[in-house]
Amino acid sequence: MKRPAIARGMWVGLGLLWLAAVGVGFALLTRHSLTPGATHEAPAQWPQAAHPPRAEGRPTLVMLAHPRCPCTRASLGELAVVMEHARGQLDARVLFLRPEGTSGDWTQGPLWRAAAGIPGVRVLADEGGTQARLFGAVTSGHSLLYDAQGRLRFSGGLTVARGHRGDNPGRDAVEALLREAGGSGGTSQHAVYGCALEEPPEVRATNTP
Amino acid sequence: MRLSEDVSGPTVALKERAVLLFREHLGAVRRRTDRLFAGLMLAQWAFGILVALFVAPYGWRGKDGAPHAHVYAALFLGAALTVFPIALARWRPGDAATRHGVALAQMLWSSLLIHLTGGRLETHFHVFVSLAFLSLYRDPWVLLSASCATVADHIIRGFLWPESVYGIVDPEWWRFLEHAFWVGILNMVLLHAGRGMRREMREVAVRRAELELAREREEEKSAALDRALRELSGFQEHLIRVEKLAAVGQLAASVGHELRNPLAAVRNAHAYLSRRLSRDVIGAADDPRVPQFLGVMERELGACAKIISDLLDFARERPPALQPCPLRPLVDEAIGVVPPRDGVRILNEVPESLPVPCLDKEQFRQVLVNLVQNAVEAMPTGRTGQVSVLAEGQDTGPWAIRVIDDGAGIPPDVLPKIFEPLFTTKTRGTGLGLAIVANMVQRHGGTISVRSEAGRGSEFHIHLPATAAAQAA
Repeated sequence: MKRPAIARGMWVGLGLLWLAAVGVGFALLTRHSLTPGATHEAPAQWPQAAHPPRAEGRPTLVMLAHPRCPCTRASLGELAVVMEHARGQLDARVLFLRPEGTSGDWTQGPLWRAAAGIPGVRVLADEGGTQARLFGAVTSGHSLLYDAQGRLRFSGGLTVARGHRGDNPGRDAVEALLREAGGSGGTSQHAVYGCALEEPPEVRATNTP
Repeated sequence: MRLSEDVSGPTVALKERAVLLFREHLGAVRRRTDRLFAGLMLAQWAFGILVALFVAPYGWRGKDGAPHAHVYAALFLGAALTVFPIALARWRPGDAATRHGVALAQMLWSSLLIHLTGGRLETHFHVFVSLAFLSLYRDPWVLLSASCATVADHIIRGFLWPESVYGIVDPEWWRFLEHAFWVGILNMVLLHAGRGMRREMREVAVRRAELELAREREEEKSAALDRALRELSGFQEHLIRVEKLAAVGQLAASVGHELRNPLAAVRNAHAYLSRRLSRDVIGAADDPRVPQFLGVMERELGACAKIISDLLDFARERPPALQPCPLRPLVDEAIGVVPPRDGVRILNEVPESLPVPCLDKEQFRQVLVNLVQNAVEAMPTGRTGQVSVLAEGQDTGPWAIRVIDDGAGIPPDVLPKIFEPLFTTKTRGTGLGLAIVANMVQRHGGTISVRSEAGRGSEFHIHLPATAAAQAA
């Protein structure tokens, strides 16, 4: 039976509206995934107040991480790849935020255990976020690579989008720096994709997980 | 076999019916698949929400957590991807637009689930599973539209955000062709399987059409047979009417013939008496022929009355008025009515202790009179003989009444016809006597039979059912 033209037109209109709505939804989702977190200027030299102190005679990578950020799971996965490729030439440590007023259980969750499972990685709690502030990190997954002389060579994330694993420029840069003989040159900076480590008003305004 | 082609063998009606059945079946399959996808969409929606809640339940700002954007995406974008195809399946089931809408939504679900699982390679298999499910529509164009949606997604995302679809930052420009190749391979397999299924559906449709047409032909034959039976019944009724009219004519001729002789005798006697009385009324009293002719008139008019009475007995369909009727006195009455004949004895051998049956007295007396008179008349002239009436029966059993004579017997060629109306071997008689007997016995629910032997006599046997005795008791 032939359907009335009005009904058919209504369905065509609904279909177009549906396509538009779905398109907007996917666009918003993509924008969220590709929008990096906030970053601050990282110290050009290894901070003397940093704890624990950097490894002597070889590069040190520090990742400041939120213990419950789902995006950081991908960052840890990329760190595992870096550590595997580094073959013991890199001293890496992951500092998980432990905000004031929280217990150790709050911090030592699945991400803590995942990081601890990466060979060559030391996992520590960042009490009150003091280490993150020291390194200028405000977004989870922010990684900093200091060379053997304590100079900052890399600052940024090891993923290309929120929670998205796979090849990315940040990891490539770190691995390239590790392969580099002599360790001279500038600093590589990349965007960081993760949750906010703290809640300063300016960060809250720009970093939407 | 392609139904749209002209092929020898199947008729045009068969092909048209088969095409109709095939389309109906295909439509039913597609509506069923619409319903399947409506359920699948709901399941995917629930699965997407669970994935979002499991993988990324919260986004964090320090120690403050809030639902992650993926949760909102699973809820609202998932709702959009679910509700529209369900609405299509609900309100436009079986439509081509519904199938293509479902296909597009399904492929977009693949994208969303891949996104919600952080681009896991395993989730990409959702694309292939979706294509397999979409092949249930048995519509190659649906697979094409779904594949085009997937390829377009790969091209667009490969250009804008290659890591989300290829997992690498800088893929080759032709990388989408590699993915499209595998999709194409799967499509070829699914198309091949779908074509086989459609071929089987066509064959089933042809077989169903053959069955339906055969059934319709049988129904037409049955209807024609019914019509023929009705016509035959009409002809039969007409034939019965014709036979009845013929019988009436024959009966009228027979009765007329039988009445003519006594009436002629009466007319002659009447003519003589008229002449005699007109000539000399007083002297007529002394004429000895006057009483002779008056006797002739009385006898012949009695014969006329008998013929008319027999005719009425045969023609009347009066149902028997059953009442308790002792049999032995009834046989005595019947014997008393039959004119005696020299040398012929009539014996009432009905036991006095016999239970009383339930009969129509008048009709059954007529039966006995006719049988006894027939037996008496069957005796050859100049020979002595005997007619016996016997009976036996019980309160709850059947009854038997027999009239036996030792006369000339009935010739075998005559025996089958003796109960037919108007059949007679006598020079005087209407041929209604035994027909009347048979009618009356039948009205009592009984049967009558005869056994005869040439030269040794005959035996008429009346068999009455048990109900007669039971009613009497």
